[in-house]
Amino acid sequence: MDQNINGKETYSAEDIKVLKGLDAVKKRPAMYIGSTGLEGLHHLVYEVVDNSVDESLAGYCKNIEVIIHLDGSCTVIDDGRGIPTDIHPEEGRSAAEVVLTELHSGGKFESKAYRISGGLHGVGISVVNALAEWLDVEIKQNGKVFQQHYERGVPSAPLTVVGRTKGTGTKITFKPDPEIFEILEFSWDILSQRLRELAFLNRGLKISLSDERTGRSQVFHYSGGIVSFVEHLNKNKSPIHPKPIYFSGEKEDIIAEVALQYNDGYSETIYTFANNINTKEGGTHLIGFKSALTRTVNSYASSSGLLKDSKESLTGDDIREGLTAVINVKLMNPQFEGQTKMKLGNSEVKGIIESIVNEGLGTYFEENPSVARKIIEKALQAARAREAARKAKELTRRKGALEDTGLPGKLADCSEKDPALSELFIVEGDSAGGSAKQGRDRRIQAILPLRGKILNVEKARFDKMLSSEEIKILITALGTGIGTEDFDISKIRYHKIILMTDADVDGAHIRTLLLTFFYRQMPAVIEKGYLYIAQPPLFKVKKGKTEKYIQNEAEMLNMLFELASEDIELNLKGQSVKGKALIPYLKKLYKFEHLLEWFERRRKDPELLLFMLSLQINKDLLRDENRFKEFLSKVKMLHPSITTGEVQFDEEHQTYGVEIRRNHYKMNLTASFVTSPEFRELEVLYNIIKDLGQKPYKIYTKEEIKEAKTGKELIDMVLAIAKKGLNIQRYKGLGEMNPQQLWETTMDPEKRTLLQVTIQDSVEADGIFTVLMGDQVEPRKEFITTHALEARNIDI
Amino acid sequence: MKIICPVCKTKTTWEENPWRPFCSEKCKMIDLGKWILEEYRIESKSNDDEEDEIPKP
Repeated sequence: MDQNINGKETYSAEDIKVLKGLDAVKKRPAMYIGSTGLEGLHHLVYEVVDNSVDESLAGYCKNIEVIIHLDGSCTVIDDGRGIPTDIHPEEGRSAAEVVLTELHSGGKFESKAYRISGGLHGVGISVVNALAEWLDVEIKQNGKVFQQHYERGVPSAPLTVVGRTKGTGTKITFKPDPEIFEILEFSWDILSQRLRELAFLNRGLKISLSDERTGRSQVFHYSGGIVSFVEHLNKNKSPIHPKPIYFSGEKEDIIAEVALQYNDGYSETIYTFANNINTKEGGTHLIGFKSALTRTVNSYASSSGLLKDSKESLTGDDIREGLTAVINVKLMNPQFEGQTKMKLGNSEVKGIIESIVNEGLGTYFEENPSVARKIIEKALQAARAREAARKAKELTRRKGALEDTGLPGKLADCSEKDPALSELFIVEGDSAGGSAKQGRDRRIQAILPLRGKILNVEKARFDKMLSSEEIKILITALGTGIGTEDFDISKIRYHKIILMTDADVDGAHIRTLLLTFFYRQMPAVIEKGYLYIAQPPLFKVKKGKTEKYIQNEAEMLNMLFELASEDIELNLKGQSVKGKALIPYLKKLYKFEHLLEWFERRRKDPELLLFMLSLQINKDLLRDENRFKEFLSKVKMLHPSITTGEVQFDEEHQTYGVEIRRNHYKMNLTASFVTSPEFRELEVLYNIIKDLGQKPYKIYTKEEIKEAKTGKELIDMVLAIAKKGLNIQRYKGLGEMNPQQLWETTMDPEKRTLLQVTIQDSVEADGIFTVLMGDQVEPRKEFITTHALEARNIDI
Repeated sequence: MKIICPVCKTKTTWEENPWRPFCSEKCKMIDLGKWILEEYRIESKSNDDEEDEIPKP
């Protein structure tokens, strides 16, 4: 914006119009500066600074310096024209003295010298003088330096020339009167915030602030003006378009500029200013801006076909979500209204701002369609969120609708009415629901079958969700209500809510959905410890006529090793051993092999690892250069295709390290590798299974002697022996169990195991849910690969 | 406990937060609305079960 449109060159004594009565200021300071507290104290500084800013608006001042002194006084220096020093025709005193001693005597009152000025509602610098214990003014003008000293608004002597100068400007130092102000300490934060704001609003103006109490200083100088302001406000946010949108215009002596930028957040941040005053309560400029923004965005959205139908429109709230904007207007005779006089009242401003915004933003959208599209998409998203919130409110308001219909038909309730004794099983699928209904203890156990809803999105892609009907049924069955005000945990009808889902992917998805729903919308249920996960068996094992249910893979393995140990003999510390003593060794060997596979998936050479273990590679060896090199030469002999990189010395740990490769294997053998928990675990296990002797391992059974070349082979053979004569059935779904089995294995309070859901579990479920929702493609991939690797699939 | 609002992703706390795990009533209601509008869907591939297998939470 052009800031040089103001004023005439001379600012003389004639421009000062006199209005008397500083005593009124001392009597009622709050009327002039708002308060005698923190706010009023800082207003004194603003008042002086605003005079300098006015000089800048008129085009005569480029630098303003504010200094907070040790004694509680403050200096403001500018390089403007200097307050007029000539003798005032009516008063017979210097114009400067008139400005400093007469209320409402600022040059701005005639609006000739300054066409546009800020100033705190024109109270003028005389107010500062009246409320200061003392004030010193120094003016550089016409080659001379003038000085005058005041005490509580009264001059000690007339304005006097003390020297010569080539410069111009005004320097005012004042100390707030302790008899008037309750607080006398200037705040760095308050001052720096306001001065920064002024520097943003007056592009190119350099304002420095220094604090002699702390030695701190800062310079505010922004060539980008309010564009820099918007960038500053969006500093810690993620903007959806790279550069703020800026436009300006001038109509009927009102100058307006607007800078705006959207970020991906939800809040709306709009700063409005009129003549440098922060109009915190808004006013006509804000109203004009909002209505023009709404209209321009809607008309662009509909003309470019971004709205679904012609009836659809975006509300102002939708359009302002994530908006950061600064509106800066300059006008003559601003009218400030409202409680704190921080609301612009000039009615003509509204229409003018409207037309400037319509024009400026309309043009910008035409020239930058991709930014326009992003903004409209953001608003559409906000509209959808608003619709979602409306639906949710509707549901919570219609309490009656939920209650009056009574309990949902799908719910098979229990007869017990005491919630502390009642259990609700939320069962996935209708067939399992049927079994559960027949198998349950109907006194205390209620069953609610939920299927989830499946949506065929693409050819081989199905999306799983909870239907809105199911959610309503669930809320009704629980009896707690939903929402913030309507939710009441004390009304819950069951103190055990047990999720019972299949051990497959669909089951896991339904469980994740339910856990997430409880965590987000009914966290109190989890906090109270009411939420559980049922633990149906994963296997059924038949041997002859006896049946056994096995909960999980670890238990299965345990059983198989137990069975095998009765039939085989292995070498242990050089002796042939049979029976239970073998079990811990088999388990450790299994774990060891598993860990070795884990390393292999991470491209660590298993043969090299075994070799390292046999040589007892540890940190000490890596410290010893000779031993390390000796080790390396042995490694090279291990396999012809092994290559090693250059030996590196780690200063921080004083150890040697090297990269060793073979085929696709790659190991960075360093101190941190050999001290990693995984490698240490491998070491511990290795030292135990050493007792099994050298490979090949020999297995003695009644019929034969077998040889296993590797640990894995040994495990496989042992498991094969154990499984002889067993019929192992892996349950894929709850539906594969009959009511009696379901009761015995999963529902019977005497025998079952339940997993209590904690907040920590549900935070994790929410994380899984967010990832599975698929809006972030990369993390989802990563999640699936890392977890797929850890999913232990043993071949049973 | 420090948590992240599931809707707007701002940082918030679990304790003394009536809208936990959300930051505000607005975000809580937006989330509830999404459940009601069936906008929360978990993608699963029909013949891809093994690959998509997830651990039990």
